[in-house]
Amino acid sequence: MKYTGAEILMRSLLQEKVEVIFGYPGGANMPIYDALYFYGKKFRHILVRHEQGAAHAAEGYARVTGKPGVCLVTSGPGATNLVTGIADAMMDSVPMVCITGQVAAEFLGSDAFQEADVVGITTPITKWNCQLTHAEEIPEAIAKAFYIASHGRPGPVVIDITKNAQFEKAEFKYPKNFYVKKLKTVNKFNSGDIKKAAEIINKAKKPLMLVGHGVLISKAEKEVLQVIEKTGMVAASTLHGLSSIPFDHPLYVGMIGMHGNYSPNKLTNSADVILAVGMRFDDRVTGKLSEYVPKAKVIHIDIDESEHHKNVRAHFPLLGNVKDVLKSLMPYLKKNNHDEWLGDFKELDKKELEFEKIRQQKNKNKITMNVVLSLLSEKTKNEAVIVADVGQNQMFSARYYKYKNPDSYITSGGLGTMGFALPATMGAKVGAPKRLVFAVIGDGGFQMTIQELGTIMQEKMPIKILLLNNEYLGMVRQWQQLFFEKRYSFTHMQNPDFINIAKSYGIKGEQVMERKKLEIALDRFINFQGPYLLEVKVEKEDNIFPMVATGTSVDDVRLE
Amino acid sequence: MSRFTVDIIVENRHGVLYRIAGLLTKRKINIERINAYAVKGDGISKIFFTADIEEKIVDTVVKQIDKIIEVIDIKYHKAKL
Repeated sequence: MKYTGAEILMRSLLQEKVEVIFGYPGGANMPIYDALYFYGKKFRHILVRHEQGAAHAAEGYARVTGKPGVCLVTSGPGATNLVTGIADAMMDSVPMVCITGQVAAEFLGSDAFQEADVVGITTPITKWNCQLTHAEEIPEAIAKAFYIASHGRPGPVVIDITKNAQFEKAEFKYPKNFYVKKLKTVNKFNSGDIKKAAEIINKAKKPLMLVGHGVLISKAEKEVLQVIEKTGMVAASTLHGLSSIPFDHPLYVGMIGMHGNYSPNKLTNSADVILAVGMRFDDRVTGKLSEYVPKAKVIHIDIDESEHHKNVRAHFPLLGNVKDVLKSLMPYLKKNNHDEWLGDFKELDKKELEFEKIRQQKNKNKITMNVVLSLLSEKTKNEAVIVADVGQNQMFSARYYKYKNPDSYITSGGLGTMGFALPATMGAKVGAPKRLVFAVIGDGGFQMTIQELGTIMQEKMPIKILLLNNEYLGMVRQWQQLFFEKRYSFTHMQNPDFINIAKSYGIKGEQVMERKKLEIALDRFINFQGPYLLEVKVEKEDNIFPMVATGTSVDDVRLE
Repeated sequence: MSRFTVDIIVENRHGVLYRIAGLLTKRKINIERINAYAVKGDGISKIFFTADIEEKIVDTVVKQIDKIIEVIDIKYHKAKL
């Protein structure tokens, strides 16, 4: 029996056990939407308000489920609107399959209505992409797309399907075997490498583990704990590694990087062994690269060979899935403890705490972002999923929410996409319906994708939006204050009445301006059944510290 | 900066050369010479290019090219001037 290309696409997506599609119809994907009309009961289709929202929602879904998020958009502007989200997924290793409609094959290259070279545009920001001009090509391309997006280091894939291929009829046969090179053999470490690495760890006096996103992607949280508990190794996390180790683990010393904690930044350069686990030594983590980890032997576990030696030269690169490498490493590790080394961290933690206290004293009756996040953490028993936007709100969420369970902190780390949080929260809620999911957003980022309130309304998504409003683009303002002599160039924002905006979307909203009303407002916010916007008017010129200023070394981390 | 020759075997699909060139563009590497041809009947193509690349990044760039799904094999060596 023959089916149209659009139906073949539906059947292929069913083969991949797709549950939800974030999409937007248009001229060049109408046959697919027509097929969705009939297959609609088998998928949940969520109509976003802008294609960028679809991409971030797919990312949010992928981040909590580990499965590829799926977007379906039309040609030209539909596809180009996805671009920011695709680039974001590429930077943060998020599995995503984007299906874009394309003008009919006979019009390709003719500058037809809503034609854009989508394969050309998305090549540098995808793991793989292709254009299909015949219905019969669809099954294999979809099978490859899902395989590539989710195997090895995950990433986004774009499948561009011309309109004629959607109409055309062909047999449906879903391939069981198809050729995709290399990704099959992700583990290339051997027992010799493992033994050598273990020996280095066993001899270390000041070993430091740095956990990254790879730990969460490969679900190696348990293995990480086994390794640190056996070796007594101190562990710190990158922004994307957050929530892989529970905040209260005795060997966990907090976050590294530009706005990380004081002790792990200060002491990174004192370590004699760095065990980097599924992280890529981003410039926000390393600070001044030429002064980074001068005394350490670096063991770098990563699934992507091109990450080894890219930024930091590794003495022992271990190529493979984090979980598998750690499992292999375990039997060779000796029971040990490094209490003195851990004590060095605890000593510096006291210093950070002192500053924290002074700060709190100074802001006693004011609402600062750290207070809001600390209270939210406490009131949700540290169990919620926090989807942070970009800027100060992101760093306060990273530092003051106490993450207890894995996959609880989602943000745009690599690309730093403002506007990420609201749509990503929709995807996260769809992927983890039983968990409490909060978007934490500033007034700038909120207005970049605010249109998705419409999606939340239509889909009746019980999403909690915590809007931290300081009437500034806070992080840029902080830099202007610290490095540009307080020249606040175009960072002040005159904002609309956000509560009324929410109201017009049928979303309940509340504004808090006084510290004494904050707690009760948070209670109402958390306990409300359904979508809710809590706008907190926070201190306007509050800063996030500690901070490793650009171009300085991590041990130059400043407390104020 | 040293001159390197990179030899690549790829699946013969459209867009592969563009993907390779893109990885070079990203690092502002200019191709000095390039040769590419399809191997008859095998569904593969061979690509050779020569470019001036900083020694400390050449290995990473080559590994990034190697990540391209259609790249089957890649080798590089210093070019004879």
